[in-house]
Amino acid sequence: MIRPLEMAAVAALVSALVFGILAPTDVVQGTVQKIMYVHVPSAWLAYLAFVVTLIGSIGYLATRNLRWDHRAGASAELGVVFTGLALATGSIWGKTTWGVWWTWDARLVLTAAMFFVYLGYLAVRRSLDDPHRRAARVAVFGILAVVQLPLVHFSVVWWRGLHQPPTVIRPDGPQMDPPLLFALLLATVAFTAVYAALLARRTALAALEDRLTMERATSEPVAGAAVGRPEGGAP
Amino acid sequence: MIPLRHQALLVAAADLRAERRTGEVAWVAIPFGVVALLVIPMAIGIDTALLARLGSGLFWVVVLLFGLGVTQRQTASGSSAHDDTLRLLGVDPAARFVGSSLASAALLLGFAGIVGFATVILYDPHLASWWILAAVVALAVAGLAMVGTITGAVARGIGSRTTLAPLLAAPLAIPILLGATQAMEGMRQGAGILRWMLLLALVDSLVAVAGVLTARPLEEAAG
Repeated sequence: MIRPLEMAAVAALVSALVFGILAPTDVVQGTVQKIMYVHVPSAWLAYLAFVVTLIGSIGYLATRNLRWDHRAGASAELGVVFTGLALATGSIWGKTTWGVWWTWDARLVLTAAMFFVYLGYLAVRRSLDDPHRRAARVAVFGILAVVQLPLVHFSVVWWRGLHQPPTVIRPDGPQMDPPLLFALLLATVAFTAVYAALLARRTALAALEDRLTMERATSEPVAGAAVGRPEGGAP
Repeated sequence: MIPLRHQALLVAAADLRAERRTGEVAWVAIPFGVVALLVIPMAIGIDTALLARLGSGLFWVVVLLFGLGVTQRQTASGSSAHDDTLRLLGVDPAARFVGSSLASAALLLGFAGIVGFATVILYDPHLASWWILAAVVALAVAGLAMVGTITGAVARGIGSRTTLAPLLAAPLAIPILLGATQAMEGMRQGAGILRWMLLLALVDSLVAVAGVLTARPLEEAAG
């Protein structure tokens, strides 16, 4: 069944696509600048997703309720997808503007490191079947991993590299033409709606997966059940 | 009841005794680290000026990657019987975290000392101040030891632990690598290094707090 949030996400995505295409083309970079409407929202959602993972991790350790863990895990999966998307779109953008697919810029290196940190988080999740054991371990890692976020965000301020410093969120206001800024904000809202819709679906799916695991564990025959009268034996 | 600090010291001493028996760091990790320093020039060329410039950076890469191996050594992982004994003895999980981190930090200091000596001999890097270098090394190995202890606990009992734990720890240790290398570069150029030392101290503090606060849930999850 399609939920209202999912319909809203699709509508927002279509609007963002239309406004992104109609927005004026950048004088210097040309059409390739439109990658920004995917790259920037993906990076923002990576941050949001990993903060939600942090909240879910703390929530689980405080309450021992698996719903927090399901949300944390679902958000981490989406965060990895959006981080990967930000890296891929950034690489394509970099090839056309800097002339290289990859450069040793602090923002790029730290974002790639963040990607691998959360891949590790997902690897631990997949390695353990028992829901509560898994939840406690990944919650600790989810809290520790968030130290990457401020490093990634402030890397463009702390180190001079090719990646541009913040353009929208800065003390003296956004440094962007209003039509481009509007298209960017709309794309960010649309991506956030997609994230929220996927998060709800994946969280529900994670709860079902755990229920199945626990039902399988309780329905497995215990050792004593194997000891019985052999078939076809004497009555 | 034994005070927490004393418990931590006992755990550290036991870890170090186990290492003395097996010699995993002394006979495996340290030689392997020195071999890495020996083979790198074969890949990047033998330009002595270039190698002198790269020396301190290569030292930190070796300390990070091989140092994580030191924190994930077999004697630090512990068996389930060992874990059960410590639980039955009433050893506080936070004391266990501190003790294991102390033991790893002590071994890492030895590892960094020998690998650092090898770097000086093989690469002849420019070092402005031994005191600052010692402070940077101390802060960096403390952070590495704690990150290694936490990730080792997260991966404890998992089949792929030996490969999983370094995967968890290496990206998390990047802020430590950045702080250490930038401090060394700042020292080489005569620029300010205070902010990099502060970054190292901040990361160490955050990891220490996280390690102490999460030690109990991690132990319960392992039980």
